[in-house]
Amino acid sequence: MRVLVVHCHPVPESYVAAVRDRVLGALGRAGHEVRLLDLHAIGFDPVMGTEERRRYNELGPGEHPMPEQAAHLAWCEALVFVYPTWWYGAPAMLKGWLDRVWTPGTAFGLDPGTGEIRPLMTHVTKLAVVTTCGAPWWFSRWVGFPGRRTILRGLRVLCAKRCRTTYLAHYRMDASTEASRARFLERVERRFERF
Amino acid sequence: MDLLDLHAEGFDPVMSREERALYHDVDRNRDAVREHVDRLRAATALFVCFPVWNYGFPAILKGWFDRVFLPGVSFDIVDGGVRPALCHVNRLCIATTYGGDRLRTALAGDPPRRVAGRQLRWLVARGAAYDYLALYDMNRADAARRAAFLDRVGERAGRGVGRPGAVDRSGGVR
Repeated sequence: MRVLVVHCHPVPESYVAAVRDRVLGALGRAGHEVRLLDLHAIGFDPVMGTEERRRYNELGPGEHPMPEQAAHLAWCEALVFVYPTWWYGAPAMLKGWLDRVWTPGTAFGLDPGTGEIRPLMTHVTKLAVVTTCGAPWWFSRWVGFPGRRTILRGLRVLCAKRCRTTYLAHYRMDASTEASRARFLERVERRFERF
Repeated sequence: MDLLDLHAEGFDPVMSREERALYHDVDRNRDAVREHVDRLRAATALFVCFPVWNYGFPAILKGWFDRVFLPGVSFDIVDGGVRPALCHVNRLCIATTYGGDRLRTALAGDPPRRVAGRQLRWLVARGAAYDYLALYDMNRADAARRAAFLDRVGERAGRGVGRPGAVDRSGGVR
């Protein structure tokens, strides 16, 4: 299937970049058609400007402030997000990509009668998040896994009805060891070989 | 009162490579955002006002947390444990709007409400007055509902502001 891998980390030699490379390698070996979107590399601007916001609710089918980004959404059948969890969520850079790219007319529509949200990303049947967290699992759970839910629940309702989700996280990164990091890379690789 | 209008001030929410590298260096990590750190540390009450987009903060606000809520600023790392450091803040108030209705948002886990009520609230003084004021289902909210929400925000906003006696929470370890 056509898989869009969205990568977000300011440091090119980071551990998260190593995770991304394992994802890309495994998906490639499994025969998927893979496209990498590296938000820092393309210098994506995550801030929605005044005029863009004014026009946001009037965007119709085929209208998008960034057509090249909309084309990525139209192209993919699966999405994999690879990022570090900061303050229990995606970095601002990635959050801005969701804000600015998942727009009305492209990702969802509003029913003119009832105002209900209608999904438009129904060609996406798989969503995955691969991330690192400073906090331990239990504290993340107590906070309510906000980052995980923003993507795997919030975006999922805009995708195919039976869209499947995958979540892989290395918790307590500040206490991680060479061995724990290597184990996580292997886990990621195994998981994406049968994605 | 200090109004920080992130868009008007042209705040850049993207953490740079250099900032990321210095993140855990408590002597230098705030160099790029010193003014914002000073303004945050001068506050005894914190109001955060934003629309919820895609079940989260707008990127510009998320970036303010990413870049300004640093080790040594909003939390301290002591003996491998994390301790809250915004104990000078004894009033926290959130005012926000959602496109989704309350039920749909609850099914998604309502991430912004969780982050505010658990993580932000955990950082400030113990016993700080706290409000999470939310208008759900904005796309269908009529003028009367919007006005009622404005009134509610106006009524609640002053609650607990200027209350003396921030509680030192340096004993709290997680």
